Amino acid sequence: MSFITWQYLLFLPLVLILYWQLPGRWRLVLLLIASYIFYACWDVRFLALVMTTTAIDFVCALSIEGKKTGALRVLILALLPAAWLAVCSLFLPSSGINLVIIAVAAALGLAFFAGHELIWRWGRENRSRGFLIFSVVFCLSILGFFKYFGFFVDSARTMLEFLGLQTNRVLLNIILPVGISFYTFQSLGYVIDVYRGQSPACSSLLTFATFDAFFPQMVAGPIERGRHLIPQLERTTAFTPAHLHDGLRLILVGFFKKVFVADNCAILANYVFTPQTPLNGYWAVLGVVAFAFQIYGDFSGYTDIARGSAKLLGIDLVVNFRFPYFPRNPSDFWGRWHISLSTWFRDYLYIPLGGNRGTKWETIRNLGVTMLLAGLWHGANWIFVIWGAYHGAVLILYRVVPALRSLGDEKASSYLKGVLAVALMWVLTLGGWAIFRSPNLHQLGVWLTALGHWQTSLALPWVSPSIWLLVHVAPLILLQLLTWKYQDETNLGRLSWPVRGLVYALMLLLIVSSTEHDTEFIYFQF
Amino acid sequence: MKRLFTPAFLFALLLLGLGELGARVFFAQDISGRFEYGYHPDAGFDIRPDGTVKLFRAGGRRFHPQSFPRHRPPGTFRVFVIGDSVPRGPSFQGAYPWLLAGELERHHIQAESVNMALPGYGARRCQVVLRKALEFEPSLIILHVNDSNKYEDEREYRRSQEFKSWHPRNWPMKIFIFRRLYEAKMEKAFWRLVPDQIRVKFAANDPDAQLAANPDPEEAKARIQLARETTAESAALARAHHVPLLIISQCRLMRDGPRSFHFEDHGLDALGQSLAGDGVYWLSMKDVFSGLPDPRPYFSDTGHLRESGHLLMAQAITRKILEDEQQLGLTALKGEKKDGGG
Repeated sequence: MSFITWQYLLFLPLVLILYWQLPGRWRLVLLLIASYIFYACWDVRFLALVMTTTAIDFVCALSIEGKKTGALRVLILALLPAAWLAVCSLFLPSSGINLVIIAVAAALGLAFFAGHELIWRWGRENRSRGFLIFSVVFCLSILGFFKYFGFFVDSARTMLEFLGLQTNRVLLNIILPVGISFYTFQSLGYVIDVYRGQSPACSSLLTFATFDAFFPQMVAGPIERGRHLIPQLERTTAFTPAHLHDGLRLILVGFFKKVFVADNCAILANYVFTPQTPLNGYWAVLGVVAFAFQIYGDFSGYTDIARGSAKLLGIDLVVNFRFPYFPRNPSDFWGRWHISLSTWFRDYLYIPLGGNRGTKWETIRNLGVTMLLAGLWHGANWIFVIWGAYHGAVLILYRVVPALRSLGDEKASSYLKGVLAVALMWVLTLGGWAIFRSPNLHQLGVWLTALGHWQTSLALPWVSPSIWLLVHVAPLILLQLLTWKYQDETNLGRLSWPVRGLVYALMLLLIVSSTEHDTEFIYFQF
Repeated sequence: MKRLFTPAFLFALLLLGLGELGARVFFAQDISGRFEYGYHPDAGFDIRPDGTVKLFRAGGRRFHPQSFPRHRPPGTFRVFVIGDSVPRGPSFQGAYPWLLAGELERHHIQAESVNMALPGYGARRCQVVLRKALEFEPSLIILHVNDSNKYEDEREYRRSQEFKSWHPRNWPMKIFIFRRLYEAKMEKAFWRLVPDQIRVKFAANDPDAQLAANPDPEEAKARIQLARETTAESAALARAHHVPLLIISQCRLMRDGPRSFHFEDHGLDALGQSLAGDGVYWLSMKDVFSGLPDPRPYFSDTGHLRESGHLLMAQAITRKILEDEQQLGLTALKGEKKDGGG
C-alpha cells in the first residue's frame, strides 16, 4: 500500500482511532497487524522474508547478550515463514506459492535452527561473535539473493562471453521484495548495536517484530536504530493535540513534495532519460535539474509522510533530509541527504574499516569502499556502482585537494566562498544524478554527448518546459526560505499562524491540482 | 477540542472556504465538464451576454479558441466541423475548417466555418457536441466518422459515471475550488508548457496502449456497432432539426513498402454511404486522396493530414457543397443576403 493512495488515507485514520483507544501492549499488537497488512498489500508472499529477518535477528540479538531462547521456541520461529507460505498457498492459490518454495523456506528455517543450536555449543567468548556473523551472513544472503543474484550472474556471464567462453543462460526471474534493503539494514544495525553493547537486546518478540515491520518507515525508511525506536514502541504515551498537529503538518508537506514537486518534475526527467529522445545541452541540463528536484521531492516527501504517520502514533522517526541542496562540501551533502543511510554506512562500515584515523591512503580506501557499497545498496546495476564510485571520488578529491578543502570549509569560508562552494556542490551533485537516473551506460553517454551540442534545432523548444519546471520548484524553494532558520522544511510550527494557515491552504491547493500523474515512489525499488 | 484545531488550521479552512465560494460565484462556467470527460453538454461553449458564442479550452474539451455570433448573420453560410484530431488539424489556420471558409469565399459564398473538432473524440462524444452545435443555426454540419476513438469514448464514459460514485478518490474533485485549480493547471500550464511529444509519451491516459493491451475482437466489434448506431442517431438528429449533415468517412493510409501504399476505411465508407440521403450527404476521404498519384506527402502519419492535405479536403468539400448548392440552401442564402443588404 503506497502512501499516496486513497487506501492509505483510509487505512491510517482507522489505525489511529483503534491505536489511541487500546491499552498498553494491545497497541503493539495492532501496530504489528497493521504493518503486516500494509506490507501484504504489495505482496503477501514476501511477508515470509520479513518474518525470517525478524526471527533471526530477534534470536541472535538475545543470544549475543547470552540469553538462550528455548529450542522449541526457536524452531517455531524458524518455521513460521514456511507456515505463512503454506497458509498463503492454501487460501491464495493465485499467489503462485508451490511446495518447492515452502520446502525451501522450511529448509532455511531448519538451517537457522541448527545453526543456532550449534553456535550455542561454542565457548562463551566466541559465541557473541558467532551469532553476529550468523545474523549478518543470513540476512545479507537473503538480501543478496533477492537483490543481487541476477545482477552478478548476468555480469559474470557477460564477462565470460567477452572472454570468448560459452555460458549456459541461467533463467531465474527473481522479484525484488519491496523495502528489503531498508528493513534488512535496520535489523542488522540493531544486531550490531547489541553486539557492541550500544543497545540492549529486545526481550519481547512482539516489540521487535513491530520494530522490524513498523509500517510508516518499513518500505523506504528512514532506517531507524533499535535504541531510538524500540523504547518508543515500548512506552505507552497519552495522546496530545501536538501529535495530531505535527503529524498532519509533516504529512501535508510530504504530499506537497511528492505530488506537486516530484511527480511534475518527473514528466521532464523521464523524457530526457528515455532512449531515443533527441537531446541538446539545454535539455540535458533541464532533465537533470528536473530529476534533482524529482528525487528530492519524492524521497524526502516519502520520509515526511512516514514521519508524520509515526508522529500521529506518538512516535518520532529520525530526520532524513536537511536542506541537502545547500551543502558546502561532499561530507556536508551526505550529512544532509538520506541521513539515516549515510550514518548507517558511517557507523557500521566506514568507521569499522578505520574511518579517517589511519594514513591518507587508508582513508581514501575506506571512503572508496564505503561509497561503492553505498552505490550498490541502491540497486543491482552497474550504474549505481558508478554513481557510488563517482561520489567516492568527489569525497576523496575534497580530502586531497587543499583548494577544494578550503573552499568547502564550513567555518573558514567567507560569504562569497560559501556561495561558490554551494554552486560547485550543485554541479557535482547534478553530475551524480545524471549517472543515477541513466538507465544504462549508453544513455549516460547520450546525456554527456548532449552537453556538447547546444543547437536548438536538435531538440524540442526548452523555454516553456523550463517554466513548467520553475513553476513546480519555486514553491519548494519558497518553503525552504521560510523555514531556513530552523533547517527543517516541515518546521512550520514556528511561523506566525496566519502565514502557516496560508501555507497550509496553498499546499493543499497545489497538491490537488497535481493529482493527474500518480507515480510510485522512486526509493521503493531499492 | 479547542486545542485540537490550531488558529493556523482554522485560518487555512477559512481561506479554502472563501476560495470555494469565490470559485462557485465567479468561475462556475469555466470548470464545467472536466469530470464528465467530454459528456457535458455545454463544456467549452460560453454564450456571452453580447450574443457571442466563445469556444474555449475547458472541461477537457480542447477547442481551438474561436468565437461567432449566436445567431447566424443573414446571408452567411455557417459550417460547423465536428470530429477528432484529423479535422482539428496541425494548427487552427492549417486545418481545413479554416481553409474551407476561404475556398467558399473564392466561390463568392460568404462563409463562416467553425472548427469544433476535438482530439480523441469518437461518434458518441461527437454527438454531444453536435447537439450543442445545432443550437447555433448552422447551415451545414460536417461530421467526421472514425474507427479509432470508440474505445476512448467508452472509457471516458465509464470514467464520467465513475466520477459520480462515492469513491474516495473522487472526493477532492467534488470541491469546486480544487476542481477549478486542477482545470486551470491542466489548461494553462500542462497543455501550454509541456510539448506535445512529452505529453503523448508520458500521459497517464494512453488509450492506444490500453487498447493494445486488451485486444478483445468481440469488444472491438461491439464498439464499431455502437459507433454505427450513434452516427445514425446523429444523422437523424440533424434531419429532425432540418440541418444538412455532411458525413466524412475517414481512412488510413497504410504504407506497405518504400513506394507502395493502400487505403483502409474499415467499413466507414459503407457506413457513410448507407446514411446518405434526405439531408445527409457523404464524402469519403479515401476518394479524395486515392485519385492522387502519390498521396503520402499529404499525410503526416496513417490518419492525420498535413496542411497540404487539409487544403485538398477544403477544396473537395467546397466542390461537394457546390454540387448540392440548391439542397444545401445556398440559393436561398443568396436571396437572404440580398434582402439583408437592402
